[in-house]
Amino acid sequence: MSACHNCLLGLKPGISAEISHFGAIDPALKRRLADLGISIGSNITIKRYCPCGGPLMLECSGQLLGIRQKEAAEIKVAVS
Amino acid sequence: MSSAALIGNPNTGKTSLFNTLTSSYEYVGNWSGVTVEKKVGQLKNKSGALTDLPGIYTLHPLSRDEGIAAEYLVTDSPSLLVNIVDASQLERNLYLTFQLLEYGKPLVIGLNMMDVAKSNGLRIHSETLASSLGVPVVPLVARAGKGAEELLHLISSHSIQAPDFHIDYGNAVEAAISNISRELNSVLPEHSPSERFIALQLLERNDAVLRSLAIGDEVKAKIQSICDLAEQRLHKSGVETTVQEHIHSVRTKLIRDICARVVDATNRKPNTLTEKIDAIVTHPIWGIPIFLLFMLLTFMLTFDWLGTPLSDLLEGFISGPVSTWVDQGLVAVGASEFTRALLTEGIIGGVGGVLVFIPQIFIMFLIISFIEDSGYMARITVMMDKVMELAGLNGKALIPFIIGFGCNVPGIMASRSIEQSKERMLTMLLVPLMSCSARLPVYALFAGIFFARSQALIVFSLYLLGIVLALLLAKLFSMFMFKDSKSFFMVELPPYRMPQSVTLFRSTWEKGKGFLRKAGTFILGGSVLIWLLTYLGPGGVAETMDDSFLAWIGGLFASMLQPLGFGTWQSGAALITGFMAKEVVVSTMVIIYHASDMSGLIGQIAMAFTPLQAYSFMVFVLLYTPCLATVGVLRKETASWKWTLFSIFYSLGLAYIMSFIIYQGGRLLGFA
Repeated sequence: MSACHNCLLGLKPGISAEISHFGAIDPALKRRLADLGISIGSNITIKRYCPCGGPLMLECSGQLLGIRQKEAAEIKVAVS
Repeated sequence: MSSAALIGNPNTGKTSLFNTLTSSYEYVGNWSGVTVEKKVGQLKNKSGALTDLPGIYTLHPLSRDEGIAAEYLVTDSPSLLVNIVDASQLERNLYLTFQLLEYGKPLVIGLNMMDVAKSNGLRIHSETLASSLGVPVVPLVARAGKGAEELLHLISSHSIQAPDFHIDYGNAVEAAISNISRELNSVLPEHSPSERFIALQLLERNDAVLRSLAIGDEVKAKIQSICDLAEQRLHKSGVETTVQEHIHSVRTKLIRDICARVVDATNRKPNTLTEKIDAIVTHPIWGIPIFLLFMLLTFMLTFDWLGTPLSDLLEGFISGPVSTWVDQGLVAVGASEFTRALLTEGIIGGVGGVLVFIPQIFIMFLIISFIEDSGYMARITVMMDKVMELAGLNGKALIPFIIGFGCNVPGIMASRSIEQSKERMLTMLLVPLMSCSARLPVYALFAGIFFARSQALIVFSLYLLGIVLALLLAKLFSMFMFKDSKSFFMVELPPYRMPQSVTLFRSTWEKGKGFLRKAGTFILGGSVLIWLLTYLGPGGVAETMDDSFLAWIGGLFASMLQPLGFGTWQSGAALITGFMAKEVVVSTMVIIYHASDMSGLIGQIAMAFTPLQAYSFMVFVLLYTPCLATVGVLRKETASWKWTLFSIFYSLGLAYIMSFIIYQGGRLLGFA
């Protein structure tokens, strides 16, 4: 998957950014993220990408989690 | 008698605390979704009952295990809620706390993981939290048992009052709350949670709560229109969001205000240990090889290095001194020839033949417990998600799979935490292909005889075969049997922690106990039955074993098994009896090929099989019909006979095809 403009996917590991918009992601996933306190305005950092298009590991306010690239491509961020 | 319930986010230590407070040994681990059932225990000072529930983030459930917790709150009426909160993740944990405060029952907060918060450089002012929320707060380190006594004292004191907690959600929502409350007022049964709580859940469109309310369609329609009206009024007042989002944001704002006062994060530092370990074990290139190496080491340790030598010692003890003592004892009390044969050949042979593999099984359980308790489990799901996704599964399915290596029954239960119903069903159907510890004695026996020099590798190949077939079948099933449904993957990665040796040994023991219990029930009963079937025949006491009932039963299937390389009545009989529990395959073999000592037994079996036939037999045992207990839990969890029968027959077919390919293919390649 190619890196997209201003989205979480493509952000370099270690750079922190603020979530500005959720695109077309599964509502259940959006709720799961909200459950973990990840919503618009949250600060998010990519820890590392898995090889071969696998998931990525993120950090948000001390919480580590993994999501797929497809979903990360739908999350718009602004680098602060 | 009081009844208290433990409620909190996933992986916050509820079950650890439950075990301390009720002196129980429930299953604990370091990932989200360990507890998938409601568990009830008695507080250890006998002052009442305590219920442990699966972890939830909000009262609005997404997966099956969360549904259990949410339903419990609406339909049961605990007299006290014990809300366990992760101090190192206060902000996210307090969201559930707010919903629980609205529930209107007495509540106490157990502020757990104070040690983790401290090591992250966070200072938590628990008194400030208590005064902001108006409920008692007890700081805890549940893993070490710190604070548990104080909490127990508080729970049993019955002095906790229902909190006076009220959030103002603004005119539009407040009006809707009082309108819904009025509708509910007359129809709600006694002991229900507060009307305000239910009204809020309905405004948040929590279907689980709506379903569990015993109200008529007319009332439901009225409530629906109140909700719609609230949304319109909200929009008119200039708020652009839905009612749900509005409620969410009001709560979140308040939580942030409270956290700002309670948490001092000036010295916050990253969890360096977790970062260091992750940098190695989830490395983009080395992560997967490290995982595979870890698995290989597991097998080397279980078989070659430690398990087999210990097992040989135990074998020597059981077939030597124990057998001799029992026989001498029986002679001394004047037992009949029949009784002596039943006890030494049937019971000591059948049960002892399985018990000698205790070392291998316990080593495997110890390593599985280590993976469960360390935090590595969640990382494996991330690293393997891509492979799983290609197969139509979810990375989270690896948790049931890995647990399934211990025993398929808890593996199938663990699938409850998978959110999508298609992926959950697929996972449950495929867990039986994970080679459980009951199949281990079969491999240990056969690999020990035929592949003594490369036992670990041969056994590793069987485990891998199970995994590879599970992935291929997942693809096949999802292409033809399930409508394509949306899939997403999200897993929390908990901080690593060094498993405490007490916890580790306890969880190993809890898993191993199941095996020992089976040895005393199914395997014992099976051995007696099998021995009797070899002793008796259509014409009374069988002259030789070939005239026995067992030979007759096994012979029915022998011709069918011929193309697989083990078309003998002995194999047929062992496989049929193995349906009770797969260890019984070994018991049957030991009884049938009875010899006075192990070298005799080895000689007998070595004559009956060639190495290729032995491998084909092991593959069949790996894949064929799940055992009785697994079939039972499949029926319960899928709630469908159709899927249960499907699972029985597809695995039987798969076993037949794979053994056929291996045996016939092997012969073509010139193996014997």
